[in-house]
Amino acid sequence: MRLDNAALIFPAIRRRRWVNVFRVSATLTEPVEPAVLQQAVTELMPRFPSMYVRLRTGVFWYYLEEVPAPPTVREDYAYPLTLMQEKELRTCCLRIMYFRNRIAVEFFHSLTDGTGGMVYLKTLTARYLSLRYGLEIPAEEGVLDWQEAPRAEELEDSFFRHTNGVTLNDHEPDALRLKGTYEPNFLYLTTGVVPTQSLVEASHRCGATVTVFLSAVMEETILRWQAESCPNRRKRKPVKVTVPINLRRLYGSSTLRNFVLALNPGVDPRMGDYTLEQLCKRMAAQLAAEGTPQQMAGRIAANVNPQNVTLIRAVPLPIKNVIMGIVYSMRGESKGCINLSNLGRIRLPAAMEPYVRRMEFIIGTQRSYPNNCSVASYGGETYINMIRNIREPELERRFFSRLVELGVPVYLESNAPESPRKGAES
Amino acid sequence: MYCVKCGVRLPEGTARCPLCDTPVWDPEGSASAAPTFSDRYPAPPKSRRYPFLAFLTALLLAVSLSALIFCLRNLHGVYWSGYVMLGCALVYFAVIFPFWFERREPLIFVPLGFLLTAGYLLYICLYTGGSWFLSFAFPVTMLVCLLTTAAIALFRFGKRRRLLKIGALLVLIGCSTMLVELFQVISFGGRMFTWSLYPVCAFSLVGLFLILCGVIPPWRAYVERKLFL
Repeated sequence: MRLDNAALIFPAIRRRRWVNVFRVSATLTEPVEPAVLQQAVTELMPRFPSMYVRLRTGVFWYYLEEVPAPPTVREDYAYPLTLMQEKELRTCCLRIMYFRNRIAVEFFHSLTDGTGGMVYLKTLTARYLSLRYGLEIPAEEGVLDWQEAPRAEELEDSFFRHTNGVTLNDHEPDALRLKGTYEPNFLYLTTGVVPTQSLVEASHRCGATVTVFLSAVMEETILRWQAESCPNRRKRKPVKVTVPINLRRLYGSSTLRNFVLALNPGVDPRMGDYTLEQLCKRMAAQLAAEGTPQQMAGRIAANVNPQNVTLIRAVPLPIKNVIMGIVYSMRGESKGCINLSNLGRIRLPAAMEPYVRRMEFIIGTQRSYPNNCSVASYGGETYINMIRNIREPELERRFFSRLVELGVPVYLESNAPESPRKGAES
Repeated sequence: MYCVKCGVRLPEGTARCPLCDTPVWDPEGSASAAPTFSDRYPAPPKSRRYPFLAFLTALLLAVSLSALIFCLRNLHGVYWSGYVMLGCALVYFAVIFPFWFERREPLIFVPLGFLLTAGYLLYICLYTGGSWFLSFAFPVTMLVCLLTTAAIALFRFGKRRRLLKIGALLVLIGCSTMLVELFQVISFGGRMFTWSLYPVCAFSLVGLFLILCGVIPPWRAYVERKLFL
């Protein structure tokens, strides 16, 4: 299976100590039975041929090959999104893990995006609950019928169908780079659980949606932090939050593969200080202006067009990897300070709801960003997961404290060990 | 229970706030909440650096020994294999050796590289029966070593006053060319100030301009804007 257009970048930019992986998880009301979960994983294999795959290297492109056997479920580690090493990518790019009541699925980003991953998790959880409790769960609210054959539109590369062929040229300035003391072999996860109602009310007070409000609060947090650490205004760098846009809603696609494109709305602090309301307005205006189907088609074209050029296609893969790595460093990650990926409100079939306590979405750190943030809402709570590969929780502290100031109560969970971790001093 | 500093609610039994490390006041001594993650850690990724370094070490050793064996068997002496062996040693200690360490401190390894270069030059001088090592090669190598180490030290400890540092360094480089010419005249004869005045003038002019820019804020702002510093 060929990689979709967005997926091409992830194998090319991976490093020995960094691979782009994300996680979706469902926490049930009772402990998970590993044997039942393994059966559910096995049964879903024919339904999701694009998920049960491994990464293979061709002469000109990477490609995905279906695995002969489903992955074995295993117990979760002390931190999410552990490094998916080369050997694992060559075996299976999908991990299914459990810990107490939680089922977690981790995907190499070339397989799918958050929305596709959530469809898989919902279907897996539905199948697990059916096997465990004998429930009859209808195929609705993102749960697929596990017995039907995969549909062609689920496996399509939607980028090629929705390009307008005209490349959108935008020369964005580089954004501020957040920094800290790198912690090898560990990712700190801080989860802020907030009541969705309070968050919606706080957003409405600023005249914004939840995504816009959270992105604006994040922007304001980084702006204030930068103002403290760099008193000279002229030396301050633009603060931009990368917001992935789910293109399925925009173009009505139902693909289970990657179909997401990121925008980098932000402000230049050299122009002056902004209030939160101003940041919300600006963020909403930027997202509205850039997030139209026409503009996005131009952005898709910028990614798709080079893939159609015969000369580029004929370049051997190792050379392509080097070039893609350089282009990604210059035009990808350098344009934002942090990702804020909101999967929105997650709905489940009514038959499943009594058995599922929470649903979460966690994205890993980027190659050069030390922090990332992902959001998902379920059952009246919004789960804001902030992950970092540095020791200092400064951004998290400022962000969650600001939410509390704005009248949003935050219940905080963290995987940071109470005592220094073994080997953390090295 | 809440963190009094951040205002966030924390799970029961938390000893310290994970955000600000403030101790949490818990008079009732609540039992800890169930952990959200296990205590299992994955095996850390294996480093591919050490096998690669071992391969390079073996390769250089093989090249050196081959050259030595060839000369001993065919020429009945060390002859040119000395150059090969010392060249390999120089490459090894200057380029490969620092990578065996997790922290490669340039202020240690750069002077070490220059010392080895001086040693190599000494071998060439002795082997060819020359007398230029002490009067020319050694002082010039040490001068370059001093300037390089000074440059690394200057830029390593603080990024402030970069223009001033670059300017001072350029003036020093310019002036040191006069010393090089002096050593050249002592060793090989000839007249003083035949070529060194040109680099002295060029480097000093640019260096002084940068020093002035470092001292005068409007000039500094202009140069920093133009050079994207």
